[in-house]
Amino acid sequence: MPSADVAVIGAGLAGLLTAVRLAENGARVVVLSEGNGALHWAGGPIDLGFRPGARSAAAVVGQLARRRAHPYAVLGADVAPALDWFQRLATDLGLPHAGSLSGGFGALPTAIGGIRPVSIVPEAQAPTLQPWAPGERLVIAGHAGYKDFWPRAVASSLARPEVWGGFSRPDQVVGVAIDWPGLRERRNLNALRIAEHFDDPDWRAAALDITARAVASTGSGPVRVGLPAVLGLRDHARVLEDAIQRFGTPVIELPLVPPGIPGIRLHDVLRAKLRALGGRILIGERIARVEATNGTVTAVATEAATRDLTTRVGALVLATGGIAGGGLVGDPDGAIREVVLGLPADGPPIQRWLHGDPLDPASLPIAAAGIRTDDALRPVDPLRPAEGPLFENVRVVGSLLAGQQWMVDRSGDGVALASAWRAAASLEATAAPATRSSRGAEAVR
Amino acid sequence: MTLARSAAVPTLDPGIAWDALVIGGGATGAGLLRDLARRGMRTLLVDRSDLGTGTSGRYHGLLHSGGRYVARDRDAARECIVENRIVRRIASFAVEDTGGYFVATPDDPDDYVDAFPALCAASDVDCEEVDVREVLRRNPTLNPRIRRAFAVPDAAVEPWALIEGNVADAAALGSMALPYHRVVGFDRSGERLLAARVVDIRSGTEYRVMAGQMVSAAGAWGGQVAAMAGAKLTMAPGKGTMLVFNQRMTDAVINRCHMASDGDIMVPVGTVAILGTTDIHVADPDHWQITRAEVDELLDEGEKLFPKLRRMRLLRAYGGVRPLYDPSETGTESREVTRAHVVLDHAPRDGISNLTSIVGGKLTTYRLMAQDTADAVARKAGVTDRATTAQEPVPDPHGDRKGRYHWLGGRLAAHEADGGGDAALLCECELVTRSQLEEVLDRRWPCSLDDVRRLTRLGMGPCQGGFCTFRAAGAVADHAARTTSDPVAIGDMTEQAMADFLRERQRGTQPIAHGRQLQEAVMTAGFHWGTLGLGSLVGTSPGSNAQR
Amino acid sequence: MTIASVVEAALHETVGLSTDECLKCNICNEVCPVARVDDRFPGPKYVGPQAQRFRLAAPVPINLDGRPVHSPDRTVDWCSGCGWCTTACPAGVKIAEVNNRARASMRAGHRPRLRDWLISQTDLLGRFGAPFTPLANWTLQNRPVRWLLELVLGIHRKAPLPLYAGRSFRSRFKRRGGVLGRVGEVDLPPPDRAVVYFHGCAANYYEQHVADAAIAVLERNGFQVIAPPQNCCGLPMISNGLYPAARSKARHNVEVLAEYARLGYRIVGTSTSCTHTLKAEYAEMLDLHDEDARAVSAATWDICEFLLELHEEGRLDTGFGRIDLDLPYHAPCQLRSHGIGLPAMDLFALIPGLRAVDMDHDCCGIAGTYGLKKEKYDNAMRVGEDLFRRIDASGAAETACDSETCRWQIASATDRPSRHPVEYLAAAYAAADATGTADGTAH
Repeated sequence: MPSADVAVIGAGLAGLLTAVRLAENGARVVVLSEGNGALHWAGGPIDLGFRPGARSAAAVVGQLARRRAHPYAVLGADVAPALDWFQRLATDLGLPHAGSLSGGFGALPTAIGGIRPVSIVPEAQAPTLQPWAPGERLVIAGHAGYKDFWPRAVASSLARPEVWGGFSRPDQVVGVAIDWPGLRERRNLNALRIAEHFDDPDWRAAALDITARAVASTGSGPVRVGLPAVLGLRDHARVLEDAIQRFGTPVIELPLVPPGIPGIRLHDVLRAKLRALGGRILIGERIARVEATNGTVTAVATEAATRDLTTRVGALVLATGGIAGGGLVGDPDGAIREVVLGLPADGPPIQRWLHGDPLDPASLPIAAAGIRTDDALRPVDPLRPAEGPLFENVRVVGSLLAGQQWMVDRSGDGVALASAWRAAASLEATAAPATRSSRGAEAVR
Repeated sequence: MTLARSAAVPTLDPGIAWDALVIGGGATGAGLLRDLARRGMRTLLVDRSDLGTGTSGRYHGLLHSGGRYVARDRDAARECIVENRIVRRIASFAVEDTGGYFVATPDDPDDYVDAFPALCAASDVDCEEVDVREVLRRNPTLNPRIRRAFAVPDAAVEPWALIEGNVADAAALGSMALPYHRVVGFDRSGERLLAARVVDIRSGTEYRVMAGQMVSAAGAWGGQVAAMAGAKLTMAPGKGTMLVFNQRMTDAVINRCHMASDGDIMVPVGTVAILGTTDIHVADPDHWQITRAEVDELLDEGEKLFPKLRRMRLLRAYGGVRPLYDPSETGTESREVTRAHVVLDHAPRDGISNLTSIVGGKLTTYRLMAQDTADAVARKAGVTDRATTAQEPVPDPHGDRKGRYHWLGGRLAAHEADGGGDAALLCECELVTRSQLEEVLDRRWPCSLDDVRRLTRLGMGPCQGGFCTFRAAGAVADHAARTTSDPVAIGDMTEQAMADFLRERQRGTQPIAHGRQLQEAVMTAGFHWGTLGLGSLVGTSPGSNAQR
Repeated sequence: MTIASVVEAALHETVGLSTDECLKCNICNEVCPVARVDDRFPGPKYVGPQAQRFRLAAPVPINLDGRPVHSPDRTVDWCSGCGWCTTACPAGVKIAEVNNRARASMRAGHRPRLRDWLISQTDLLGRFGAPFTPLANWTLQNRPVRWLLELVLGIHRKAPLPLYAGRSFRSRFKRRGGVLGRVGEVDLPPPDRAVVYFHGCAANYYEQHVADAAIAVLERNGFQVIAPPQNCCGLPMISNGLYPAARSKARHNVEVLAEYARLGYRIVGTSTSCTHTLKAEYAEMLDLHDEDARAVSAATWDICEFLLELHEEGRLDTGFGRIDLDLPYHAPCQLRSHGIGLPAMDLFALIPGLRAVDMDHDCCGIAGTYGLKKEKYDNAMRVGEDLFRRIDASGAAETACDSETCRWQIASATDRPSRHPVEYLAAAYAAADATGTADGTAH
C-alpha cells in the first residue's frame, strides 16, 4: 500500500496551500481530490475580510477575530504571516499579488457591472487599489459576441455612482464592444478559449491593436481599460505586459462567471509547485473509506475501478470545502453530513438553510455550516468542544471550517491562507515519523 | 422603478368599442379570445400580469386522459378524454405524446385496481392493461413492487405555447391580448357595464375600455373581478404544490391506480419531471407559502411510485391555485367541491346584464370551457355563429412543428443541425439561444426575464438562472439601449431585470434545497456575491452604498 | 437493440442519472482535450449532462414498438472518450460514459460504417493478418495502399497502425508448453502460485515482446502464467458505439475468466485499457452486472498495479539490475480511469539508474481508435502535440506508456520507440542476471 506523511483531501486554495507548505518543509504529501477544485471558479482577488467603512483588511480581521464563531477567532494571528508567505510564493511562481493587510480597499468592477471590495489582488487587478484621479475614465472593452461579458451593459451599470458605494470611482465609464479576430466564427466560446487565443502572440498583437484603437476612439485623457479576465492562461504575465504597453494605460481584468481564469492560473502554478517539491496530486479520487484506530487516522482508501486504493497516511488534512465545495452535504432529512469522516457539523436547522429574500446575503445561513475545531484545527464535536479533538492527526482547513458567513464577511481566502499555515505548522510540530520509513512511499519519486 | 415603454409596442386605443372584453389571460381566457374572435366578435383580453402566469402556468403539465376522474366524476372523465383527443389534434405542437400509466403499488387497494378498466370503459377512456415487467424495463426507477399497470392516453402539454397559439389565432382576426393591464373597476349604468377601467401597470396610465360583453376568465381571482362589478362570487381556491425534478426519470406519465390524491402523479414535461400535487384550501389566491413539510409529504407519497425519489435532483417547488368553485358558495374546503367548470350569467344572479364568469375546470378542457362560455356570451350579444375551435388547428407560435407532437429532443436536434456549440447559448441548461431571447425581447418589450422564461424556458434548468441571468441581462441592456441613450436608465433597467429574475428563480429553490441543488444554490450565491459583487447592485449587502 | 439488452439495461441506471449531479461549473469543459483543439466538439458539459436532459429517460431509448428512437445528437461523435471530464468533475458525473451511451444511441438502428466496424475487429484483424505477416506489414507500410485505405475506408494514411509480429503469442505460448485451456481442461497450479494472463489483442498479434516481458517478470516472482482462451475485450467496439458486438465479446470473456476468478486466480493484463474494460466497462457501458461479471471485475489487475501490490506485500523480487536511462512516461487516460495512481512510476523508482519522468500530459490524442479516423486524425495529433514536443525536447531515446495504442501514437509522432513499463522490469532483471551484481533481494 502506498503511503504518505500527509494526505490532503481537496485541491482548492486551502488544500493546495497546505500541501505546498508541508512539502516545502519536507513532508511527503499526496493531494487527493474528487475533481478539480473551487479555484477554478475564482476571479482573482484574495478576500481577507471586509466591512463597510473599515479602513483595512487588518481591521476587519481584528473584528472578526473577536467573534467567537468565526475561524479568525482561532486563526486571526496567522493571517499576516500566511499572507506574507503567500505573496512571496505567488511572486516566485510568476503571479505576484498586490496589496497588503494594512493597506486600504479598492473597488474591482465585475462582469455583471457591479464592484467588489478588494485588498489583495493579482497584478492584472492591481490598478483598482489606486484611487481614481479627477477626470480619469474607465473604458470597458470586450468581444461583442462573447456571452459572459457585455461591455455596454457593464459600463451602463458602472455608470451609476451608487454602485461604487463609498469607493473612489472613475469620472466616466464607457463601454466598447469589439470584434476580436476570429471569435465570431467560433462555435464554442468561453473564457478559457479566449485566454488560449491571448496566449498566442500573433493573435494577441492583433486583438490588442483593435482594442487600443477602440479605446482611443472613446476620447482622450487619463483612462484605465477594463477587460474580461481572459488575458492568457499559460503566458499571462506577458499578455498583461503587452496589453499595458499597447494601451499605454493601466489594465484591469474583470471577474467573470466560472470558469475563472485567474483562479485556474493560480491552481496551475500551485500544482506545478507541489509537484516540483515532490508532492503528488491525484484528481478524480473520491474517498471511499478512512481507517482509524484510537482517534488516529491511519489510511485513506479512494474509490477505484473494482477495488479501493488504500494509502497509509501519517496525517489527514480535510480541505474539501463547505456546502458549495461539496465537503458538506445537506441531506433531505436535515442532516448536514461531512463527507470524508462523517464528522459532526455545526449548522442551522433545515428550515433555515435558505431563508428569506434571496437577494439578501443573509438568506443563506447554511453557508456558515462547517466543522468546529480546536486551536490546532483538529475537529471537535460542536456540542461538546471541551471533550477535545475527535481525531489527533486530522486538520480542517478552508471553507469547511464553521462560522464563515463569507457572503457578508468576505473572509474566505484569508481563512484558507491562515488555516493552511496553521495546519502545516501544527502537523510539523507533531509529525509522525513512523510513516517515513514506508517503502512504497519512497518509490513515489 | 417601472420599465420604460418603447414606442414600437401597440398601445390600447381608448376609442375602440370592443364586442367583448375578456379578463384573465390563462388558457381559458386565451381560448375564449380565440373562440369569440372566430365567431366574428372583436375581442380584447387583458391580464394583470403576463399571459399564463396564473393557474395555467402553474400546474403539472398533464393533458388528462380522464383516468384520474373515472371513479369520482364520470362526466369530468368523459370531458377530459374528448378534449384530450381534440387538443392533440388542434395543438399537437404543445403536446408531447408521452402516454401514461396507472400503476398499482402495494399501497393501492385491490378493489380500485380491479375496477379500474371497467371504470375507464364507462367513461370512454382508452385503457389497456400492459405487462408490468415491460413498464419496469422502460422505467427502471419505478417501484419494482408495482403489480399491475394500465396504459392510458395521458400526455404532457406546454401551457404557454398553447396560450400563445390561441392568442395568435385571435390576433389574425383583429382581436388582441394585452398583458400587464389590470382591471381596477367598471363603469356601470343600471344593469349594464359600460366600460372597464384598465391600468397599464408598466406606465401607470389608466384607460376606459368599452365593450359590449364583459367576461371574467380570472379563475381563482374571479371573485375579485366580480366584486369590482358589484357582483358576488365566492371561489374556493385550492393550492396545489408541485415539485420539479432536474430530469425525467420516466418518459411516460405515471399515476397511482387509486382514488386520485396528493403526490400520486409524475409528469415528464419537456426536460423535467413534475411530481404533483397537494390540495390545500387558501383564503387568498395571492398569498400562500410552500413549506418544507409540504415538500416532505409530497416526497413521502412520491416514493411510493419512485422509491429513490429523494436521491434524484430536485430543482424547485412551485404552487398554483385551482380555480375551484363551490356552487353553495360557502367557502368550504376545496377537496369537497367540484372540478367541473360552470358558466355563470350575472344577469339573473346579480342583475348585471352583460357580465359572464367562467369558473372551475382544468387546463385539459380549456377549449370546452371557452366554447361553453362563448356560447353564452354570443347568445347575449345576439351572435349566432357556432364554435369552430374543435376543428380548426391552433397556429404553432414557433411555426415549425405543424401537425407533429412536441419532441423532447427537438431543441437539441435543431441546435445540432445548426452546428451546435455553446457560443450562442445564453441558457445552456435549456438550450436557449441569443436569437431566441432577442426575438422575444423584440416582440414583447418591455417585459421581464420571467416573461422571456415562459416563452423560451430561460433559467428553468439545474442552475435556475445562476449563470444565464447575467447573460440575459446583457441582452436586456442592449435592448434597452435602443429606447434610451441614458446609461443610468439602462443600468437601472438591466439591474431590475436581473434582480427580479434571480429572486423569482431562487425563491423556488428554498423549500426543496438539499443535496446537489443546495450545493448549486450556495455555489452560485458564492460567485454572485463573492466573485461578481452582486451586493453592490441589489443594495442589501455590506459593500453596497448605504444611501441606496 | 434487442429486448434482452433492454432488460439488462433497465436494471441499472446509474450512469444516466449521474448527470443529476451536474453543477454546471464548467470544470469538465476546461479539461477537455478535444474541445481545446476542435470547435466542432462543443465540450463535455454540452454533450453530457446538458444534452442528457433532451434525451429520453429510458436507459436504452426505444420506441413503444421496440425500434430505436431518433437520436437528437450529432456533435457527441467528436468526443474521443478519453474520460478526463469524468476525472475532473467535482460532482461525480460520469460524463464520458454518458457520452459513450449517447453515441451508441446515435448509431443504434443504423448500419455501422464499414471503417468503424473494421477497426473495432481487433482480434479478427489479428487472426486474419498474423499468418501473412510479411505481406500484411508490407501492405500497412505501403504508401499507396494507405492512401487507398484513407480514400476507401477513411483510415488516415498517417495514423499509427501496428505491425504484425508473425505467429501469435498464443501459438508460441502453446509451443513452449504454456497453459492455454479453460478450467477443467488443464491441470492447474494453486491460485497463489499462478495468474491468469489477459494478453489482449495487442500482445497476441503485434507486441509479443510485451507478453514475453510480462511472463518473464511474473515467473521471476514465482507465478506460473495461464492464458485461457479469450476474445478482444470489446473496448474498440464500445468506443465505436457497437454495443451488441461488444457485449458478445464480453460475455465470452466473462464466461471463461469467471471460472478462474471463482477459484481465486487473479487476472493480470498488460493492456491497461483491456484491464479497465474488464474491471469497469462491462458493467458501466455494457450493463453486465451478473455475478460472473462481478467476479471477473474483482479479480482483474493491471500488471503494474499487481506488481506494486506484490511489492507492498514485500513479495516482489527487487533484484533489479541497473538501467541508465532518461525515460519520459505518459500515463494513459485509461490508467487514470482505474484510479490506482501511477504504479509504473512507483515501480520505475525501484530500478537503479532509471530516471523516469511523468510527463503530466492529459491525453496523447489517439484514444483507442479515435485517432485512426481520417476526420479525427488531426485532432488526435493536436491533442498530443505538447506531449510530443516535450518528449522531443527531452532528448530521451525512448518513452514508456501502459497502453498500446498510446505507445503507437507516441512512437509514431516522436519517431522513437515507446515501451510498456513491464519491459523495463524484465530488462532490469535480465541486467541483474547478466552482471550478477544485483544487490536487491526479495523481501
